[in-house]
Amino acid sequence: MKTILKAKLPELLEQLAKEYKVLVPAKLEGVSRFAAYRENLELALEENVTMPPKDIFFPQTEEMYKFKSKDQSLEIEEIPQDEKLQVIFGVRSCDMKSIDCLDQVFLTKGFVDPFYQDKRDKSILIALSCVKPMESCFCTSMGIDPQKGQGADIQAYDLGEKLGFEGITERGQEVLSKVSGMFAEEDAAIPSIGEFNLTADVEGLPEKLKDMFDHPIWDDISRKCLNCSTCAYVCPTCHCFDIASEVRGEDGTKIRCWDCCMVDEYTVMAGGHQPRPGKKERVRNRFLHKLRYFPERYNMLLCTGCGRCVVKCPVNLDITNVIKKLQEA
Amino acid sequence: MQNLYLPYQMRIEKIVEESPEKDLKTFELSFLDSQDAVDCKYLPGQFAEVSILGIGEAPFGIASAPCETGLVRFSVKKAGLFTENLHQAEVGDIIGLRGPLGNSWPLEKLKGKDIVIIGGGFAFTTLRSMIRFIIEPKNRKDFGQVDIVYGNRNPGQMLYKEELEEWLTRKDLNLHLTIDKPAEGWQNYVGFVPQITEQVIKPSHNAVSLVCGPPIMIKYTLPVLEKLGLNPERIYTSLEMKMKCGIGMCGRCNIGSKYVCKDGPVFSVAELEKLPSEY
Repeated sequence: MKTILKAKLPELLEQLAKEYKVLVPAKLEGVSRFAAYRENLELALEENVTMPPKDIFFPQTEEMYKFKSKDQSLEIEEIPQDEKLQVIFGVRSCDMKSIDCLDQVFLTKGFVDPFYQDKRDKSILIALSCVKPMESCFCTSMGIDPQKGQGADIQAYDLGEKLGFEGITERGQEVLSKVSGMFAEEDAAIPSIGEFNLTADVEGLPEKLKDMFDHPIWDDISRKCLNCSTCAYVCPTCHCFDIASEVRGEDGTKIRCWDCCMVDEYTVMAGGHQPRPGKKERVRNRFLHKLRYFPERYNMLLCTGCGRCVVKCPVNLDITNVIKKLQEA
Repeated sequence: MQNLYLPYQMRIEKIVEESPEKDLKTFELSFLDSQDAVDCKYLPGQFAEVSILGIGEAPFGIASAPCETGLVRFSVKKAGLFTENLHQAEVGDIIGLRGPLGNSWPLEKLKGKDIVIIGGGFAFTTLRSMIRFIIEPKNRKDFGQVDIVYGNRNPGQMLYKEELEEWLTRKDLNLHLTIDKPAEGWQNYVGFVPQITEQVIKPSHNAVSLVCGPPIMIKYTLPVLEKLGLNPERIYTSLEMKMKCGIGMCGRCNIGSKYVCKDGPVFSVAELEKLPSEY
């Protein structure tokens, strides 16, 4: 395994940044998130970042095209995309899995989302193993190995004083070869992961939920929800979006931005018909999407056990608790 | 990078005021770029996202038929912000179109079958596309007997009045028009769609039915069709839902694990029975 002292990491990132756009977990204005590497950036490697990496591929707001309308003519102009390859360092296993989920949505079933594909194709992913689960983590319950990031180009390991690197894909090997002089080659034991505080039993759940659409448990589960959408905002797999436009005089930009099934406007139709009129219907949709509909469509759960919603929900609507209630119902 | 979200540019060629209430207009659009007309191949039952840049974008069933080359037609009821704006558009204005989107009426399953088409109100658009497709001379032999029941509250609300007049005289289809209450000068049926359907459609074990209309009409028509021997596998309807992307990604039009925009809008009643009743 290639190893390097943690203290040398900024130097390594510096080196990579000469060739690639490098994104790293960092603390910015009190929030940890992925950010472009620069000197003196405060890295956030102790625990997983608050904001998941989804916005790297699927920005919170994204321009789709520009237009100019004047009298009876219309000009449409596409948005130029960044050409540079990007190396994303420090993606935890839960978030690696979330990228797999997003790939299913944006790249499969006959249509390819051009904006997502473009950023995804340009990305080289360096997964980072976890040593100590956070209080809110339950990735192992969702079938995820916290020390092996699915789909990684390079797997990095937290070895205490040092970091270990293993090139997995050709692209990953190539990145490592560019900085090979900085590594030592040694056998290193990967530290075992600590105990998990939270667990969730999802065995057979998608199947069980097929008959639970009309179950009274949804009244109970949804009662305290505020429909605030925080869960979706911090969720690494929630991917719904709205399409809108911004107009100034004759110039306009078509944009898309994150949206969420917790809000009324999401499904209300012209004329007022609302298929999901209340919070029960919306909460039910969110959990059924994660635990039944997505598995039906893409053969995987839409929850990675990252625990962000558990931490951020203002009323402690804890998904592990919801899963427990659904299993017991 | 092929940008699926870019609209074709369309010119409004013709606007028809369809009802005396002036809340229903048909827009006939042509492609600004003739290559787009070649690329935009659609089937009856599909829809498209129509846009007025700066105002918005909304999904509408395509009312024209593929054989009507070079144009695309939509009938739009004034119902919200976007449709209010569309109703103010004039001939010559340029608007956007993204599509075709969604599945279509199940053409393969309709071949060789008698067809029972049931429509109510302004939901007649993609049914009209299907009928126009069937009576195209090169297609007509692929289908058996064609019966149509089309109902409205009053005669003024009938879509495509001139065309309906012509269809009433045709030998290759049976058109049964009905209105809810008697009106002066009306020479067709009077009564609700389910009742007229029961009266005019003969029992069949071969027929396939396509039904579009207000939910209440569908609710009372389905038992009638079943009584006539049509099981839920042979009754199809088209759903509406709020949609943005139209390609199964933005999320909002799901019913269970199906997206109306991509897996629909056309579903058989048998398929709908397996989905949560959330639409």
